Amino acid sequence: MMYLFIASILCFGLGVLAVLLSVRSPKPCRVAAHSFALAGSLGMLIFGFAGLQGAGFESKLPSVMPGAGLQFTIDRLSAFFIVVIAVGAVAAALYAFGYTRQYTGHRVAGAGVSLNVFLPSMFCVVLAANALTFLFFWELMALASYFLVMTESEHADTREAGWIYFVMTHAGFACLLIAFLVLSAAADSTDFANWPRASLLMDARPRNLAFILLAIGFGSKAGLIPFHIWLPRAHPAAPSHVSALMSGVMIKLGIYGLIRTVFVWMGAGPEWWGILILLFAAMSSVLGVLYALVENDLKRLLAYSSVENIGIITLGIGAAMLFQAFHLPGLAGLALIAALYHTINHAIFKSLLFMGAGAVLHAAHTRNMEEMGGLIRRMPQTAALFLVGSVAIAALPPFNGLASEWLTFQSLLLSFQIPARTVNLVFAVSVAALALTGGLAAACFVKAFGISFLALPRSKHAEDARECDWTMRAAMGVLAILCLVFGVAPFMVVSYLKDAAAELTGAAPDLAFNWTTLAAGSGFATFSPPWVLAGLVLLPVLVLGLLLAAGANRKSRKYETWGCGRAVQGARFEYTAAAFSNPFTRVFAFLYQPVEETDVQSHPESRFFVHTILYKHETRSIFEEWFYIPVVRHVRAIANRARVLQSGNVHSYLLYIFLALLCLLVLINR
Amino acid sequence: MRRLLNKILKTPVVTEAGLPPQSDDVRFLASAVQEKAQRLFGGSLHIRQVDAGSCNGCELEIGALNNPYYDLERFGLHFVASPRHADCLLVTGPVTRNMADPLKRTYDATPDPKFVVAIGDCAADCGIFKGAYGVVGPVSSVVPVDVVVQGCPPEPFAILDGILRYLERRVRALP
Repeated sequence: MMYLFIASILCFGLGVLAVLLSVRSPKPCRVAAHSFALAGSLGMLIFGFAGLQGAGFESKLPSVMPGAGLQFTIDRLSAFFIVVIAVGAVAAALYAFGYTRQYTGHRVAGAGVSLNVFLPSMFCVVLAANALTFLFFWELMALASYFLVMTESEHADTREAGWIYFVMTHAGFACLLIAFLVLSAAADSTDFANWPRASLLMDARPRNLAFILLAIGFGSKAGLIPFHIWLPRAHPAAPSHVSALMSGVMIKLGIYGLIRTVFVWMGAGPEWWGILILLFAAMSSVLGVLYALVENDLKRLLAYSSVENIGIITLGIGAAMLFQAFHLPGLAGLALIAALYHTINHAIFKSLLFMGAGAVLHAAHTRNMEEMGGLIRRMPQTAALFLVGSVAIAALPPFNGLASEWLTFQSLLLSFQIPARTVNLVFAVSVAALALTGGLAAACFVKAFGISFLALPRSKHAEDARECDWTMRAAMGVLAILCLVFGVAPFMVVSYLKDAAAELTGAAPDLAFNWTTLAAGSGFATFSPPWVLAGLVLLPVLVLGLLLAAGANRKSRKYETWGCGRAVQGARFEYTAAAFSNPFTRVFAFLYQPVEETDVQSHPESRFFVHTILYKHETRSIFEEWFYIPVVRHVRAIANRARVLQSGNVHSYLLYIFLALLCLLVLINR
Repeated sequence: MRRLLNKILKTPVVTEAGLPPQSDDVRFLASAVQEKAQRLFGGSLHIRQVDAGSCNGCELEIGALNNPYYDLERFGLHFVASPRHADCLLVTGPVTRNMADPLKRTYDATPDPKFVVAIGDCAADCGIFKGAYGVVGPVSSVVPVDVVVQGCPPEPFAILDGILRYLERRVRALP
């Protein structure tokens, strides 16, 4: 275990070194960076599997840092997240071989170094055994990903995205830091092992404060609404393999932190903690998918869909917290399994989708869906792989999204066992939210796939698109196969998750399974993915066979698409992305606050001779307009006032130092 | 409010009494055709209407087929929105230059077996538009026509009669 860990981390280190040695020549630099990243991630994958099987690991480097030093340990939860990160990292490193070919000069080196710092810091966050180690690697991860986002920093919107990401992630970090200090003070130790007991003895007020700060800190990393605003900016701006890593993997560390907080560090809390998490989760899932639905930028759409999926995962966590608070550990385990299962599923299919979007961006040179179309003929393999991801994320059989969303549904429905009316009501709202989310997500990915890949190309670039590099297709292929395997054989995943959940809740989860069937809540509901797959395959065969047996006509005729008898059928007649989402914009007008502008330029003599029509239809974010913009305005105003203190006059600074000293002396003497 | 209620109470029944069923032969024809038509079109017949340049007189009469009095659907006939779903095209009007190509495309897009009914005098021989500069010719000059229903415009029953008579002819031709 120990050697595997050291070897993997060493791989990443060698990656950094190799890049630095070959800065001047992009090709060896690119190959070295990504081969070492790939090797290191594969090592960590094996490490994670060993951890899931129960292998222990302990490592202390007391002299490296002040305090307790660097300290690592592993349990089943961290082993599971190691696997999640490693799966995403392996695919992303493979994909990056082909994807980074477009970059030249220093950018290759910059991205290579950042990637080789980003990946090990994510692994180390999960393995951290004390507060200082955790915070150090958490910050390293944030910085490395910030540099990765800024790879294409010549675009103004990339710089803006990077800035917002930087601010949001550090606001989150500040919350975590305060909460960690509170908990460390209570436990009189930064060692995580001492926290669970100490936290139970804490006063209610600091304990609640610590919980809320941790929830905000981890929620902002996970992208829970209303802390989601950096996701739809940073993920599209980053190179696509980094988007896949950030959206598929990095935001999961927020989930990791949340689970760690409520099941290990803090222990069971009052029930309103769970209600709070559940409500924010429900809001994230519904609003996330609604924002995704009206988005015409393919990568922004995927980023908003990440907000939605984080919502679904957090629904599971919130449910688990409430079950635990009402002493139903079996059901808590079930809900946790659902959350963890959706975590790895989302890591797989969202990485796949971002990579598909990257391939499209590479080929069509645009993220705007209104300029795509017809790509299924030009890049059929990418289209097929993207379709797999879309079906999976829409929770349709036979892929993996269905299994985990089914489990989440069952754990929410089983809430009737909780004997409290208000809590039941909150669960009912969450079930409704999840159902709405599922339907809207399907609509969203019909749009994402249909508008981008089907029909005729809407621009010259889309017309000239070519199939992407084989490494990119291979990376997507691996993930697509995982989508199918995790969808058809959930028992493989669940058998590992069962132990992890049992370790956290202290009782066996209420989930029975064998190789065909999952049975949740002591037979409350059962589900057999292999039979669903068999049905999906057999039903068309059966229908076709019966039709042929009944003497159906087998003749077929090829004819052009029916276009209402028009002589010319061009891309201008196609259904657009904006038109697809317009009904939703109208129904949920409150949320989108749509602005419509029509500007008609006509002939000065008669308004019936129109020269040009300019039509603008935009949606706005109520969170930004009602929350972030006022907050920023106030912060600016306060900062302007505070500027008086920074006079630049040495004498006044001396006065400040004197006053500070005086205050400290007074405080200490008391 | 009171005025409105008053008005509702005082207004007599203003609809006309229904006419006694006149064309019993249509019903008879329909019942005779219905069972046999199943063999030809699998139970029901789907109609796509194409206006190739009509004055909309014929459209009014065709529209009337859907009202409760004529009630086309009781014979298993439906109007559909795309020729891809249709078995039968109802074409009205003299074929104008602009509509000649779309009409041909519509005919090509309709799956076999199919038939074309030309509705009205214009469709039959261009009527009063004969020789006009914007007119290509009667429907039969663009697509093969199976039935012609004369009239300017033809009565709904005449249209129905035309469709059903064609069906009967086809059914009789079946082995």
